[in-house]
Amino acid sequence: MYSLIPHIVNGLTLGLLFALIALGFTLIVGVMEVINLAHGAFFALGAYFALATIGGSWFAGTEFGVWWSSLSPGARYASGLIFGPLCAAGAGMILELCLRPTYGKAPLYGLLLTFGAALVIEELIRLVWGTGEQSLSVPQAINGAFLMGGLIFSKYKFYAAAFSILAIFLVWLFLEKTPYGAIIKAGSHDSEMVRALGFDLGKLRLAVFAFGAALAGLAGVIMAPIWGLRPHIGIDVVIPAFLIIVVGGVGSFWGAVAAAMLVGLAVGITGAYAAAWSMLSMYILLILVVGFRARGLFGRKSALEN
Amino acid sequence: MISLSDIPARGGSPFTPPMIVFLLALATAPFWLEAVGLYSYLGIEITIWILYAMGFNLLFGYAGLHSFGHGAYLGVGAYAFGLFQHHVGVSLWGGLLAAVLAATIAGAAVALFVAHRRGIYFALLTIAFGQVFWFCAIKLRWLTGGEDGLLGIPRPDLVVGPLRVSLQENTSLHWFSAAILGLAMLGLWRLVNAPFGRVLQAIRQNEMRARFAGYDVWRIKWLVFTLSASVAGLAGGLFAMAQESAYPDVMSLHQSGLIVMMILVGGGLVSFWGPVLGVLVYFIARDIIGGITETWLLWFGLMFVVMVMVRPEGAAGLAHVVRARFARAPVKTPVSAPAERSA
Amino acid sequence: MPLFEARNIQKRFGARVVLENVSLSVEQGAVHGIMGPNGAGKTTCFNVLTGHYAPDGGTIRFAGRDIAGMKPHRIARLGVSRSFQIMNLFDDTVVIENVMLALPEFRAMTFSPSRNVFIDRALTDAALEILAQVDLAEKAWDKAASLSYGQRRALEIAVALAARPKIVFLDEPTSGLGAEATRALAQLVRRLRESYTIVMIEHDMRFLFELADRISVIHWGQVIAEDTPAELMANKWVARSALGELA
Repeated sequence: MYSLIPHIVNGLTLGLLFALIALGFTLIVGVMEVINLAHGAFFALGAYFALATIGGSWFAGTEFGVWWSSLSPGARYASGLIFGPLCAAGAGMILELCLRPTYGKAPLYGLLLTFGAALVIEELIRLVWGTGEQSLSVPQAINGAFLMGGLIFSKYKFYAAAFSILAIFLVWLFLEKTPYGAIIKAGSHDSEMVRALGFDLGKLRLAVFAFGAALAGLAGVIMAPIWGLRPHIGIDVVIPAFLIIVVGGVGSFWGAVAAAMLVGLAVGITGAYAAAWSMLSMYILLILVVGFRARGLFGRKSALEN
Repeated sequence: MISLSDIPARGGSPFTPPMIVFLLALATAPFWLEAVGLYSYLGIEITIWILYAMGFNLLFGYAGLHSFGHGAYLGVGAYAFGLFQHHVGVSLWGGLLAAVLAATIAGAAVALFVAHRRGIYFALLTIAFGQVFWFCAIKLRWLTGGEDGLLGIPRPDLVVGPLRVSLQENTSLHWFSAAILGLAMLGLWRLVNAPFGRVLQAIRQNEMRARFAGYDVWRIKWLVFTLSASVAGLAGGLFAMAQESAYPDVMSLHQSGLIVMMILVGGGLVSFWGPVLGVLVYFIARDIIGGITETWLLWFGLMFVVMVMVRPEGAAGLAHVVRARFARAPVKTPVSAPAERSA
Repeated sequence: MPLFEARNIQKRFGARVVLENVSLSVEQGAVHGIMGPNGAGKTTCFNVLTGHYAPDGGTIRFAGRDIAGMKPHRIARLGVSRSFQIMNLFDDTVVIENVMLALPEFRAMTFSPSRNVFIDRALTDAALEILAQVDLAEKAWDKAASLSYGQRRALEIAVALAARPKIVFLDEPTSGLGAEATRALAQLVRRLRESYTIVMIEHDMRFLFELADRISVIHWGQVIAEDTPAELMANKWVARSALGELA
């Protein structure tokens, strides 16, 4: 039982990161009524762009590049943490623009488009960065392991958990306490009403997509050292995101966070018993949940219910 | 915009001129493929994928149930065929039967879970199931050979009564597959023009109304899912023979997504021929564009995205528009009352 | 014995009680109306009676059979048919196919792998006959999506009739119709009552009072009155719930 603790910690860390992913996902679903199958691609883009930023490959061989590599790993990592999500946000906005012709049509087309976008983005990643495994270098301060109570813990995972908590708190602050956040929340519940109130729905959608993609990208940067960095890491992101909003309810902030922790724990604990099959537990969970209970613990009826 | 529901001009005929042309082209493929600079194995691949795609379109286009995990059943069929040859006996019909049976059982089981749903929930459930199958194919090394695949699958001889035909040559396998495709095509054409096909379309258009009109919608959805899995299994068995091996990758989300893209690009949402066109476009992209650049899949993906944005009716829809423009007459939708023809 | 009888129906959604002790009794050949303000539970009541939802309590009997909790398609096959307030048609296809799909003869052929239904004279004649009942026969081969609103309303009813029901539930059939179309609909209902038992939800009071033999008034999930139109006009509860205003 005691030996389960590292796995539980793993699971909770995973859960917090899933929460970041799911929050972005649920905002997009709420305001767009589109299931963004490319959400995993944003996740991957965030990680890869961070990689490029940290390594300085954009400007390798130039004067700037030389100066860049002289910066401390910490500084470069921090920039990666900023630029990765930023680039993902840009990709999100482009996707939103591409989705515009499909609004008003059957939901199938939006789904197909985001699916195609996911493929295209994955191929682009392959094209630019190659198909092999890459590694995201993190500063020494947060790397490595430490002992506590006779068990080995990974420093990085604690950092990841702490950072995610901070990020979730900031997202909550933004949504609850700022006027922009209020508009996004309102748009997430009733986009028609927000338009009737005079807000530019187009800009709102762009903003929501950018925000959601950025969150996914951020999660990608943080997850990369844990999950590895390969072009198809995005695939295993959409299913848990969907599972989480189904369990936690579309449009519910704390529902998403709670559900994310549950899913993360499930994966983490499965990892204790059958490491190779831990990812599978997410899919099986989805099958069980959607097979039996569609509206989740906190949610309202949404466009998902056709 | 035209749709699958447009009553076919000759609703009653068991086959149509395009079908004859297509099957002739398919049958003679081994002769002209090499002449145009391609290779005979391609003919087999295209045949198998058209079979797969047509069965899939029954679910995707006609019934409007958007499955993104259908590769699982192709894969199950392929593995079942291979395992039969290795563990039971080298037999063509035995292997194909095993392939169809295994895929049918897999499809029927999954259908039990998904037949309640439609739309997004349906799609995501099929993704989840697809991933489960893919995962199992990779992890169960003792059964499937894992990532290395199931190798050394033989091509059994075709034995019909006293006749024994070897399928080792790509040409013979091509003709065998083409024959199977031909029969399947005739069968599917019959099916979609029969009441069952119309009911599938009714369910696509308005499931609730169909239910209140007395249709056991759950059972029909379960049936069409299982049926399209069976066809995928048959294609899988042929695929195992063609490749002489079976790999997990057909079950991946990537590959399951490819067949969806082929369907849309070809116009499976609006035409019986959509899947055929879609498969052809894909293979043209893969082999002809692929000959020029390594990033052909990127271009195919981009084309797909653009089509979803601009012309989701696909190539078949485009053909319809082009035909209408060249005919001086106003756009002729195929709808007409049979009373005007002799009853 | 009434053809259709619901007793003490209760329906909850989560913690919210939407229907509380609703009872309804419809004699064969009658036209029974259901009215009430928005949110009173009329449509939920319909949905429960026709099988879309299972009731949490109470019984529903049709032609002596207990149908509470039965799946909608099985209830439909017993002879209970309904039309929808928000139109539920098969919009990709033609008018005649909309009706044909609902014909029991067609439905029986669902699993037959080969029949060409559009040359089948018996089927098309049967469908045309139903369309004639709602004056849509000339439009049989037009696309359902191309009809005018009033015509689509008529088609909506035709599809319900095609199932050859014994009882038809009409959910706000005059919804969105102008004065003339409403008059035409009233005439249609008068024709239809000769062959079918009808239950109607309506907001249009005059329409309902003109056609119904008995009306149930639902408010806050309960039947607050059930009587003939004449008696209802005198009922103080009905007057008080602001439904009593008739032009």
